Amino acid sequence: MQTISKSNEKSGMLISLLVFVFVVVILLIIALLNAPTMVGPKVMATVKTYLAEVKATAIPFMIAVGVIAVILAYFIAREIRKTYPNKRQFNELIAGYTFLAPYLLVTLTFTIGVILFALYISFTDYDIFTRPTWVGLANYAKAFEGFSDATKRDFLQALYNVFWYSLLVVPIQTGLAILLAVLVNSITSLKQFFRTIFYAPSVTSSVVITMIFMWLYLKDGYINYALQSILGWFGVNFAKVNWLGDPRGLIQLIVEAFGGNIPSSQWYLRGPSIAWMAIMVQNIFTTVPTFMIMFLAALQDINPALYEAAKIDGANNWHVFHKITLPMLKPITSLVVILGTIGTLQVFDQVFLATKGGPLKTSLTPVFLIFQEAMGTSGPINMGYASALAFILAIIIFILTFFQRRTLESGTEMY
Amino acid sequence: MAEKSLPLAPAAEPAYRSQKSLKIFSGILRYLLIILLCCIALAPFILAFLGTFKTDLEINAFPPKLFPEVWHWENWSKAWNTDIGQGGTFPRWLFNTAFLSVIIAVAQVIFGSMAAYSFSRLKFPGRDIVFNFMLGTMMIPGAVTLIPAYVLITKLHLINTFWALILPGLVGAGSIFMLTQFFKAIPVDLEEAAVIDGATHMQIFTKVILPLARPALLTVLILQFQGMWNAFLQPLLYLNSPDKYVLNVALSIFQQQYKAQWNLTLVGAMFNAIPVLILFFIFSKYYIEGVAYAGIKG
Repeated sequence: MQTISKSNEKSGMLISLLVFVFVVVILLIIALLNAPTMVGPKVMATVKTYLAEVKATAIPFMIAVGVIAVILAYFIAREIRKTYPNKRQFNELIAGYTFLAPYLLVTLTFTIGVILFALYISFTDYDIFTRPTWVGLANYAKAFEGFSDATKRDFLQALYNVFWYSLLVVPIQTGLAILLAVLVNSITSLKQFFRTIFYAPSVTSSVVITMIFMWLYLKDGYINYALQSILGWFGVNFAKVNWLGDPRGLIQLIVEAFGGNIPSSQWYLRGPSIAWMAIMVQNIFTTVPTFMIMFLAALQDINPALYEAAKIDGANNWHVFHKITLPMLKPITSLVVILGTIGTLQVFDQVFLATKGGPLKTSLTPVFLIFQEAMGTSGPINMGYASALAFILAIIIFILTFFQRRTLESGTEMY
Repeated sequence: MAEKSLPLAPAAEPAYRSQKSLKIFSGILRYLLIILLCCIALAPFILAFLGTFKTDLEINAFPPKLFPEVWHWENWSKAWNTDIGQGGTFPRWLFNTAFLSVIIAVAQVIFGSMAAYSFSRLKFPGRDIVFNFMLGTMMIPGAVTLIPAYVLITKLHLINTFWALILPGLVGAGSIFMLTQFFKAIPVDLEEAAVIDGATHMQIFTKVILPLARPALLTVLILQFQGMWNAFLQPLLYLNSPDKYVLNVALSIFQQQYKAQWNLTLVGAMFNAIPVLILFFIFSKYYIEGVAYAGIKG
């Protein structure tokens, strides 16, 4: 009996030691892959040249990750040793992590590893082909240089643009989605059919939709034609608009209508440009059906007894909508608003395809700017700066969604 | 829901007659409004579809006409056979896109359901930490991982190979989360018999859970397929020779090359849209359930 438990303890020790080594090795390999080195053809020629480069530039990074790896591996190994004597628990532990292994490998490499890399890079000057040089917070400071020098306002302009974008797109798409869902829910037959029809355009890619809208928005396109003929019926003469190329801002147009003028040095007062609003319309067009589906599903979950009770009490349609439907939809509304905010702050496809950030930078967005800086499509490759921008954007998104969650979800517990 | 409330409505009494006709009227009005909105929703696609049959001259004319003078079917074969150089043709792009979408969708279902089984059925130390960690990673905006992932892919010599998209796309937090919720809804007693018979976890997973979760697996399969089919930024970064393009990237290049010939670009857009639309109309139930589910459980 004694010998069995002793050998048991020994093999438990051995296995936990093996696991410890295994975890450390895996984590170090992932760290090695994501070590901040230059990526020139010379460095990447063989594994040996790459390791030499890591040794030359990324030792602090490797040590930092190594310490984390050892601590993590220690806790895991300790857990293994603890459960080893209990065969059933031990089997479940091994099975659990075996089933999770593909996910853990992928996410540690392509999410956690790369984020550590990006964080390091964001404090350096890095163009891939030369060694990263430490610059401290310079990249983060550079993002906000626009406050003092208007010619370097790209990032501020991009933030300004996406704030307008969320401010207009999120409420409009959420509101329209709710109205559409209530409308479709109010009919008795063919509900599924209409739901399918409405959703169909949204399954196609944003590239297809953008292509079609770029064509519709042409100066000689259907949108100008439709506006011209509809306004023509009312005797209004509508001059064709170059939708995706018009930099005039919303507030600027209103001020000009009253004879005022906003100089370009006060770009931040001009509001979203016509081109930018044209892209908003297209975006709303594709997201409304998706969110409508979510609202429809939530509407079907509302207890019909609530409506019947309201009917007996003699409530009118507006009351029912205002006092029952909207409060019952609150949780899903908060989700739609948060998803909408996260999505709108990261617009890219439409900008890349339709406007390239123009006209006059009025459709520049943070993600487009990050892409430009990282790929060097408008100047030198600047991966450090691009990473810094990405982190600033992420922090803004976190803060905004945190506060949205706080305000929108307060009071939902009672339902 | 509305049908259920009908019996409760008061029986037709004379006093209610005018109210009843008002009800019918508002019902008709609703249908008309919905049909009008449907037309608006579909209008861009219908206009684009009709545009594919127009000549270069017709498509640039103002005022634009709804229907083409003559239906130029040859636009479709012309676009289909256009070679933008280095093996870049629509059949090739269609294949690339379908290939990547199928591989990634299948991988996501396999590895995603494995992880979901672990989260929903097994009890082991660290499980909840890993699960919460996963939920945390779902909040990370894509923009943050974009650049470093590109550098990593470059280091692995995978730029301009399909592996650049497949490896990071093998498994994702989104599908794991969705499948975990589905698996949790399957009653545990169904597999208790298997446990008593001494089945291994692998056996329970493949013989009990997977068959029961078939609708959920199909939903995830479809959502992931569509996700890859519609992806743009990653393929744009990683695949840069015309024979490797996916449809979305190819379409943007194609449009730049044939700027004046919107009829051909629109054909390209149709090549891109029609396969997903066909899939959607076949599996619309799963698509809509997937979206609705993401809303309710998210």
